Amino acid sequence: MAGSAWQRGRVASWLVTTDHKRIGILYIGTALVFFVLAGLMALAIRLQLAQANADVLSPDRYNELVTIHGTAMVFLVVVPLLAGFGNYLVPLMIGARDVAFPRLNALSYWLFAFGGTVLMLSFFADGGAARNGWTAYPPLSVHQAGDGQDLWILSLHILSASTLAGAINFLVTIHNLRTRGMTWMRLPLFVWSIELYAWLLMAILPVLSAGLTLLLLDRGLSIGGWEVQTHFFDPAEGGAPLLYQHAFWFFGHPEVYVIVLPAFGIISEVLPVFARKPVFGYKAIAFSTVAIGFFSMLVWAHHLFTVGLPTYLQAYFMVASMVIAVPTGMKIFNWLATLWRGNVSFDSAMLYALGFLSVFVMGGLSGIYLAAFPIDWQVHDTYFVVAHFHYTLFGGVMFAIFAGLHYWWPKMFGRLLDERLGKLAFWLLFAGFNLTFFPQHLAGLEGMPRRIYTYANEGWEGYNLVSTVGSWVMGAALLVFLVNVWKTARSGRRVGHDPWRANTLEWYTTSPPPPHNFDEVPYVTSARPLDDLRRKLRERDGARALS
Amino acid sequence: MRALLVLAGLVSLLAAAAAPAALGQLAPVTPESPNAESIRDSYLFVSIFVVAIFVLVEGLLIAFVVRYRRRQRGRFEDGAEIHGSTRLELLWTAGPVIVLFLIATFVFVELPGIVDEPAAGPRGALEIRVTGRQYYWQYEYPNGVIAIDRLRAPAGVPVRLEVTAPDADVIHSWWIPALGGKIDAIPGRVNRTWFQADRPGVYRGQCAELCGAEHARMLAEVEVLPASEFDAWLGSRRAEQSAGTSPLGEELWTGVCAKCHGLAGEGGIAPRLAGSLTLADPRAVETIVRNGRRTMPAVGAGWTSEQVEALNAYLEESPPGGR
Repeated sequence: MAGSAWQRGRVASWLVTTDHKRIGILYIGTALVFFVLAGLMALAIRLQLAQANADVLSPDRYNELVTIHGTAMVFLVVVPLLAGFGNYLVPLMIGARDVAFPRLNALSYWLFAFGGTVLMLSFFADGGAARNGWTAYPPLSVHQAGDGQDLWILSLHILSASTLAGAINFLVTIHNLRTRGMTWMRLPLFVWSIELYAWLLMAILPVLSAGLTLLLLDRGLSIGGWEVQTHFFDPAEGGAPLLYQHAFWFFGHPEVYVIVLPAFGIISEVLPVFARKPVFGYKAIAFSTVAIGFFSMLVWAHHLFTVGLPTYLQAYFMVASMVIAVPTGMKIFNWLATLWRGNVSFDSAMLYALGFLSVFVMGGLSGIYLAAFPIDWQVHDTYFVVAHFHYTLFGGVMFAIFAGLHYWWPKMFGRLLDERLGKLAFWLLFAGFNLTFFPQHLAGLEGMPRRIYTYANEGWEGYNLVSTVGSWVMGAALLVFLVNVWKTARSGRRVGHDPWRANTLEWYTTSPPPPHNFDEVPYVTSARPLDDLRRKLRERDGARALS
Repeated sequence: MRALLVLAGLVSLLAAAAAPAALGQLAPVTPESPNAESIRDSYLFVSIFVVAIFVLVEGLLIAFVVRYRRRQRGRFEDGAEIHGSTRLELLWTAGPVIVLFLIATFVFVELPGIVDEPAAGPRGALEIRVTGRQYYWQYEYPNGVIAIDRLRAPAGVPVRLEVTAPDADVIHSWWIPALGGKIDAIPGRVNRTWFQADRPGVYRGQCAELCGAEHARMLAEVEVLPASEFDAWLGSRRAEQSAGTSPLGEELWTGVCAKCHGLAGEGGIAPRLAGSLTLADPRAVETIVRNGRRTMPAVGAGWTSEQVEALNAYLEESPPGGR
């Protein structure tokens, strides 16, 4: 490694690194810290809701926690975790030495760490943190006095810049740095998903930035003697609050797929390795990724079914939303078929992947109710929706992320996460997750709106109590996972370079890989280059045995 | 394999058939208005497919995991070298398309019953303006009667609601689950919805769009009265309101002031009012409710003089926290 002596220190080398692997690990580690913080917020929220008329949190404090929990989980946890996997894996999977712009990559990470810090510290701002939900609808978000909402906007602007730079980096890397023989139809499915992740972010982040900037200006800015006060969302001055909702959800809905596509990508990598089969329908999965990415930009107003849109628009957005179910269903059936006639092992990574399949289906199916707009008029903004998106984003995405962590841990650190602790954490998480979120469907159907800090209806108490107990079980699961990480770092089993006998190029090099990734890269002849190599070796050995 | 598929198919069909019955408890609340009923029917229709697909996918998942687990085979022994099947891809593309087509069709068939109000009888529909405000609902009847939080309506008559919020307020959402879907109350917009409840009773709901600190306490009730009883109430309320003897003042105190200041003025997220001299000064009260103060929103901006007087009369008659 280049650089002066101080840059090679144990800590300093991480601070100045431009190595995509180290940046990937920094992303994942930082995001896990934010995960713990946002998870603790969720536990506090559940504690307040465990009983009717509880008095654990004040209304403002509750709304702050709901807002920052949601914002952090999306912008500081799930997206950066996936960006971390993308950083670590994309160059290795396509046989490159690094991403196209390593310094820009480091900038992305540091902007993320900075933006996240701003958001978390906004609790200590004048007037407290933002408390208008992660959607921050005006006029409510314009009315909040103090600095919390402004810091929220600032944080999201910083995070958007970070993510946008990262997306550009991924695109240039994937388009230009693929090794010899790695055609688009031989690209690992995870890399396909990052390709679409990056395109989507390029398309939608500017719209979010525009919406947030208008919000900032509506709140009023004064820089020196220069005062700006606009009224984009103020009906008294000819503005329209709904304009913001369109901008937000034009970003917000594709963002769901920004998150979920790389999670799908992880599943498409993990399932075949533990079923000892090629992935079923490679092309179908790759093209359905493209289709989901495309259609995801055409459905945003299904979040606006209750604002009084004309019926023909609601009908359009219903049909368009349902269309996405087709490529999504396609993926699920292809994953199921990947198990068919396989040789299935149940390592922790695989358990999480199977757990993903079983809960994600639930989240997908409850989405059909939400897409049918008259049904949405009943369940919109209730706990039914809260259950739905936790089934997709926690049950779906976080389970996939845990599958990825267990699967690639030996690649990143050369040690295997403890299997017994891994399985214990999985079963606790699976049970706790369903316990927490399934009853929320029922509470929502019975009329419990989301984002209420308390309720008087004792009929909802049972669901909420179960949900709160479930949240503790999930907390215990995450504790077990953290213990596992700590234990593995100290005394984890070293398992060689390719413990899973996987198919993709990242396993061709050592675990962990050297700074330059590969001494040499084989010519890629299919989507499973390592399988091809093993077969060639077998044939050579066979020929030798015969002669 | 074929037997397994057939079995999975049969089981999911069975589950689908049982779905509407089993989901009686897993559906929106018992409807009391035709629109809510059509929504519930749509929900149950969708549930047929949702349950079938759920059972099919989870069933196949469990079956494959059990059937194709490793057992005595070597850890790295390869499974069948199968890369895909165009026929299957077509099948599981076409299947969902058909299911979604059926669901969308059903929704469109039910739609008129949800959107269009039923033909009104000889007395016509009743029109009420519903205004969502931090943190109360205000209802205005055609004859000028104003009520807070509890809306009274006649049974068996279509009730047409114009839902809105003042320009200076925030977005709220009107929702009484038994009487249909929700509709947002948005500053600068008037949205319309309706209900027609045939059974007298009290139906509860609450604001469904985060609207600030006391969003959770922005409850709404619809009390459906037999039509003759409703007419009598509306008439006498009109007269009382003009005479300054209606319960409007008390409704304003409990619906508007007490959610933050406490029912007896003991204080809550807002300061204690019990014993405050300001409450005894009608002009000071009017100034504060009309304009707000520090973090207090202008809860009474746009109130009629009848409203302000009603509140002041109530405060004089029964000052919160006693005299």
